[in-house]
Amino acid sequence: MLERLTRCCVRAVAAATVVAAAATTLTACGGESGGPTTLRFVWWGNEDRANATKAAVAAFEKLHPDIKVETEYSGYDAYFQKLSTQVAGGAGPDLLQLDRATIGEYEHRHVLADLGGMGLHLDKIDANLLAGGKVDGGQYAVPAGQTTQMLVFDPARFTAAGVTVPTEKGQSWTWAQFTDAITKVGAGGVAGTTDFGWAIDWFEVWLHQHGKSLYTEGKLGFDAGDLRTFWTLTGSLRDRKGVTAATATTKMDGSTQNSALVGKQSASEINYDSSLTGYLSSYGAQLAAAPLPSDGKDTGMAAMPPVSFAVSQRSSHKDAAAKLLDFLVNDPAAGKILGATRGLPPNQDIRTQVCGAATGANKAVCDYEAAQRDKVGPAFGAWPTGSSAIKRDFQRTYDDVIFGRISAADGAERVVQNAEHSLS
Amino acid sequence: MRRTQGAAYLFLSPWIIGATLLTVGPMLASLYLSLTDYDLFDPPKWIGLDNYRVMFTEDDRFWAAVGTTVRYVLFSVPLKLVLALAVALLLNRPRRGGGLYRSAFYAPSLLGASVSLALVWRAMFASGGTVDRVLAAVGITTGGWVDQPQYALLALVALAAWQFGAPMVIFLAGLKQIPRELYEAAAIDGAGPLRRLVSVTLPMLSPVILFNLVLETIHAFQAFTGAFVVSSGRGGPSDSTLLYTLYLYQRGFTDFRMGYASAMAWVLLVVVAGVTVLLFRGARGLVFYAGEGR
Repeated sequence: MLERLTRCCVRAVAAATVVAAAATTLTACGGESGGPTTLRFVWWGNEDRANATKAAVAAFEKLHPDIKVETEYSGYDAYFQKLSTQVAGGAGPDLLQLDRATIGEYEHRHVLADLGGMGLHLDKIDANLLAGGKVDGGQYAVPAGQTTQMLVFDPARFTAAGVTVPTEKGQSWTWAQFTDAITKVGAGGVAGTTDFGWAIDWFEVWLHQHGKSLYTEGKLGFDAGDLRTFWTLTGSLRDRKGVTAATATTKMDGSTQNSALVGKQSASEINYDSSLTGYLSSYGAQLAAAPLPSDGKDTGMAAMPPVSFAVSQRSSHKDAAAKLLDFLVNDPAAGKILGATRGLPPNQDIRTQVCGAATGANKAVCDYEAAQRDKVGPAFGAWPTGSSAIKRDFQRTYDDVIFGRISAADGAERVVQNAEHSLS
Repeated sequence: MRRTQGAAYLFLSPWIIGATLLTVGPMLASLYLSLTDYDLFDPPKWIGLDNYRVMFTEDDRFWAAVGTTVRYVLFSVPLKLVLALAVALLLNRPRRGGGLYRSAFYAPSLLGASVSLALVWRAMFASGGTVDRVLAAVGITTGGWVDQPQYALLALVALAAWQFGAPMVIFLAGLKQIPRELYEAAAIDGAGPLRRLVSVTLPMLSPVILFNLVLETIHAFQAFTGAFVVSSGRGGPSDSTLLYTLYLYQRGFTDFRMGYASAMAWVLLVVVAGVTVLLFRGARGLVFYAGEGR
């Protein structure tokens, strides 16, 4: 009996191994036909954004009874893991949300439809902002909003540490004032700010302040020395509790769920102001926003699309998807519902209207943007193909740096080397 | 004769069609893809053995993932089997409520592959989570395991070991098969409980032990869900939970290198098959099959 059990099961085991190998080539299938047109619309973001977007979609469905929209949202990492699987399996969405790092990736792989000639009204969107969705001469994405970088902070924690905070709208700390402030706050136990070395986005601002950029004409615009200086700065602050410990920093992904500030592990955090509504609802209304620390006149910040909408090339309902896109971006009712959940509305008329009537969290975003208007530069261009791999490698390498597995200098070298490989 | 054969094939055909479409076909496709540069969306481009060359000679993360996976297998498999055997020995004695205990210990295995379980695990082992607070209460401050590179893999090993129910049930079935006379004879010869375990139970159970060892080793090499959920698909912190399958997944679905991922799948297949053969070879002199009349 035992012998038979063993023998039979050896075969079962062998079969299981084979199946497991085959499973990695899994493909999904889907699609439907007949009846009213059904669109799938997917995005990533917090609850705030989800509730507003679902409400806007419901308004669209009321206007177009022949179109049904299925919505789906998740966190950033999960979103892109699922998206690539679905698109490859032929079950991709019709309308999707992308960011700077991914527009190029997906366009390059022929996933996105060229939106020119699809009847979209783009004349009310600032040309600088629209440029964020242009790749290879075509308009492959439309900005879903306008955002800029911000330092969101809890004034009470700073004043309790005896530090003065910027009160005048649009006023920022200098780097010396800021490092002094966060180390004083850190002495009280809670880190002064969330370690900002994790995101290539904040490094990009720092580069701009130093007259450089992340990418110039598809090539790296910085060298290992620049990154070493940046990471040495954050490293020196970590020792004094100016920035968060490695265990908190490693969880950062830009979402408010995993935010060290929201988790009460730090007193301030750098993010895009499109997340301000999320911070205010999950942390509390006492938060304030200031520009990023800077020394010169150039803040290094820019007005840019936080996220963009694109239509799938493989969608069988491109026109309906474009209709929904147009509605989300240009319809006054949609603008009112969406508020500032993806940054300020991209359409100038709607922005004026939304900001004029804004209250609470949306008003905070409008006020912050208004104060920055003359301080921010034009949108940074779309990132080149390979940049999403670079973005991930940047964060992964920083993990190695903060856990002491590699020096800041060696880490910087590695990022630059891998980046050049990814861009080629 | 021919007619009966025809009938046999007719009845076999659902299986044959299934095996061809679902197993052999995809496998051959993945073998072909492993020799191409394939980004999931555009047609694959033939590049010969280049994926394998890059994997073995240029990719540091590949070797790091291999190291992590080997550590995971070496820790989790023995721990899980020892736990399974120990509990099976306890449950083997007839006592009231035995069925209840058996079900209770088996339950975690049923939940094994579920994502929600790994989510609970992440919450338990995060900083400020249950494990952190319990350890802190007895004076051991480690912080959250899943947020620290030196402990994160341990949390995954613990998750695997906790799901010892499946091998336990198989051990139990094996224990029931051992003839009682052997124990009686041993007892008459003056053998104590430990002696009976070493000289009767373990040899009689050896085919089942081998079976469980092989099965669990293969499972451990293919572990994915726990690492994926606990690290949000990143394999962090600092690549400490980047198991082989997770890296394979990242290459395929987040880096758009499906050709490379297919090559990794084939390397895994060959390695797992090799390890299985080695286990059977190594066990030859150690496993006792009662039916062979030695």
